Amino acid sequence: MSETRFKTLRDVPLEEYLAPGNPLCAGCGATPVLRMFLKALEGRAVFVNAAGCFTLLHVYPYTPFKSSWMYTAFASAPAGAQGIRDALDILIEKGKIQPEEDIKVVCFTGDGAAYDIGLQSTSGAIERGLDFYYLVYDNEAYSNTGFQKSGATPYAASTATTLPTKLQREGHTGSKKDLFEIWRSHKPPYVATIAPSHIVDMLRKIESASKYRGPKLFISFTPCPTGWYHDTSESIRISKLAVECGVWPLKEAIYGEVKHTYTPRVLKPVEEYLKTQGRYKHLFHPQRQEHVIKAIQENIYQYWRRVAETEKLDIIIPSV
Amino acid sequence: MANSQINSFILYLKIRAKAYIYKTRHPSFGCGVWSPMLKIRFHGRGGQGVKTSSRILGRAAFLDGFVAQDSPIYGAERRGAPVISFTRISKTPITERGFIFDPDIVIVMDETLLNDWLARPLDGVKKGGAVFVNAQPGFPPPEGHDDKFFITYDLTGRALEILGKPIISSPSAAAAAKITGLITKSSVLEATADELAELDLKDELLEKNIQLAAEVYDAIPSPVINTEESGSITREISPLDYEPVTYEEVIHLDIANLGNSALRRTGNWRIFKPVVDPEKCTGCMVCIIYCPDSCITLNENNKAVIDYDNCKGCMICLRECPLRAISSVREVRVYA
Ligand code: SF4
Ligand code: SF4
Ligand code: SF4
Repeated sequence: MSETRFKTLRDVPLEEYLAPGNPLCAGCGATPVLRMFLKALEGRAVFVNAAGCFTLLHVYPYTPFKSSWMYTAFASAPAGAQGIRDALDILIEKGKIQPEEDIKVVCFTGDGAAYDIGLQSTSGAIERGLDFYYLVYDNEAYSNTGFQKSGATPYAASTATTLPTKLQREGHTGSKKDLFEIWRSHKPPYVATIAPSHIVDMLRKIESASKYRGPKLFISFTPCPTGWYHDTSESIRISKLAVECGVWPLKEAIYGEVKHTYTPRVLKPVEEYLKTQGRYKHLFHPQRQEHVIKAIQENIYQYWRRVAETEKLDIIIPSV
Repeated sequence: MANSQINSFILYLKIRAKAYIYKTRHPSFGCGVWSPMLKIRFHGRGGQGVKTSSRILGRAAFLDGFVAQDSPIYGAERRGAPVISFTRISKTPITERGFIFDPDIVIVMDETLLNDWLARPLDGVKKGGAVFVNAQPGFPPPEGHDDKFFITYDLTGRALEILGKPIISSPSAAAAAKITGLITKSSVLEATADELAELDLKDELLEKNIQLAAEVYDAIPSPVINTEESGSITREISPLDYEPVTYEEVIHLDIANLGNSALRRTGNWRIFKPVVDPEKCTGCMVCIIYCPDSCITLNENNKAVIDYDNCKGCMICLRECPLRAISSVREVRVYA
């Protein structure tokens, strides 16, 4: 990330490519990311959208987009992207459009499509080296259908299908899939995690990804007031906390080489993050589930200890 | 008789009495046979507790010995978007299902819905029925509905004061229950407690909800519902004769209805409105960057300006403004 257009928030392009009035929830953490994506690509993009919350962006006859949009079934956004990319390439080859008129093909899906239902078609697209962007807005559940658990649901989160019960007091007993690593193992030119609170980091990543031909993949942290049970005004603050507590590491991998792009100097206790959301309420009320909170914390520390070692980072990690 | 028996006997008498009043008020009720049913339709916005309201009402009716049915309907849309739910109350088994096209009572939980051409909450309300609107005192009765009882109460205002949240499921159910003239206060409160406990509400919040429901139940009048043509469903699929948005406006011939979503006016979703203090605003752009709905721009004086037609009132801007230049103001205006 040497030369970049984006150094401070002042450098965020003012041009707006996403019109207001979409029917997504107030305070949705996914829309700021989409807005920034469009800004970074200067609106020159065609979107391929798998089933998910973003389906609603485009409810006929209204659209917030000033560019084209294609809707696919859950599993097939990358297949849709392949078709569009091929069509564009053929048009360029035949001289029907000029190379500089080319547009980017961007898949955006929720975590349901990315982590579960569309995992194999994305794997195929990465393996084929499809020249596209993929943006996941990861709100850690199937929120479009009432917040059921997905492969992205983290340990101890309460969802419609992992409600805390007397037998399983911690909520979800499994853990979140590591999609970054799954994708990285394909060694695509670019994979990154982003967060709506860290806009400059996000814009730089989109900018640097654009230099590569091939799959450019982004996983965005996405606070979801509706499913996470927090106030709509809190979305950005929670995103900041997720980064500061080390829950959501900001990183990129270029051809498989990982680098963390932001390192919190001191990791905040994860409790601060958990307490902001109703989906973790059962960890504190009616009784505090100390061992669960500790397990979550230890997991985060372990991750960062490993990162600090391999990347020689200066980061203070308390020992539990 | 044991105490509880006495209580239930009194309850029984009360129901009998109310039922009797209802029968005599209700011309089509027939001789002691509760064939017709009372249909209540709730209109609100996602997040207000619309579905829970209809459930509380249904459960309260059930506790009072009626047969009850409730169901919500929501489109693919989200928090803030219009939501409808239904409760049917009857003395005999209910065979009717689905949408209630001809309600006796309509509970409008958000006054801005009255002007929403998609929600159209007053459609089909029977003559002699009741229209309840959650609005501030002095809210004008909707035009063309003089043949219905019109009742208002500032549920959101009270909910904000008592619960600290604009969630009005319990008071809306209490209002509906009182308007039916059939359902006892104790049943409403019991149903509120039961339904909210299922939602795993903290005890303190539960108590406050019950307090609010009791207050609303006491404050609301019980009008004499006298609906005509009850029982027969006069279902009329009316053409949109007053579309504010025409096809030509929305669709251009090229695929270029680009960015027309602003016509939807999501500004109606708000309960609070963010207000920028130009004295304090330095034009730092933080709010512009974080607003999920692209609703903020800078004016020629480098001050943030909010597009109130579309701002959903999430208050991310207020939260993130480093200079605390944005404040939140309770809004009760009806949008066109
Ligand atoms: S459910 Fe969550 S992710 Fe989906 S639109 Fe609402 S806030 Fe956004
Ligand atoms: S964040 Fe505050 S100071 Fe900055 S532009 Fe917005 S209102 Fe003005
Ligand atoms: S409240 Fe502020 S951040 Fe939210 S939609 Fe309105 S202007 Fe945007």
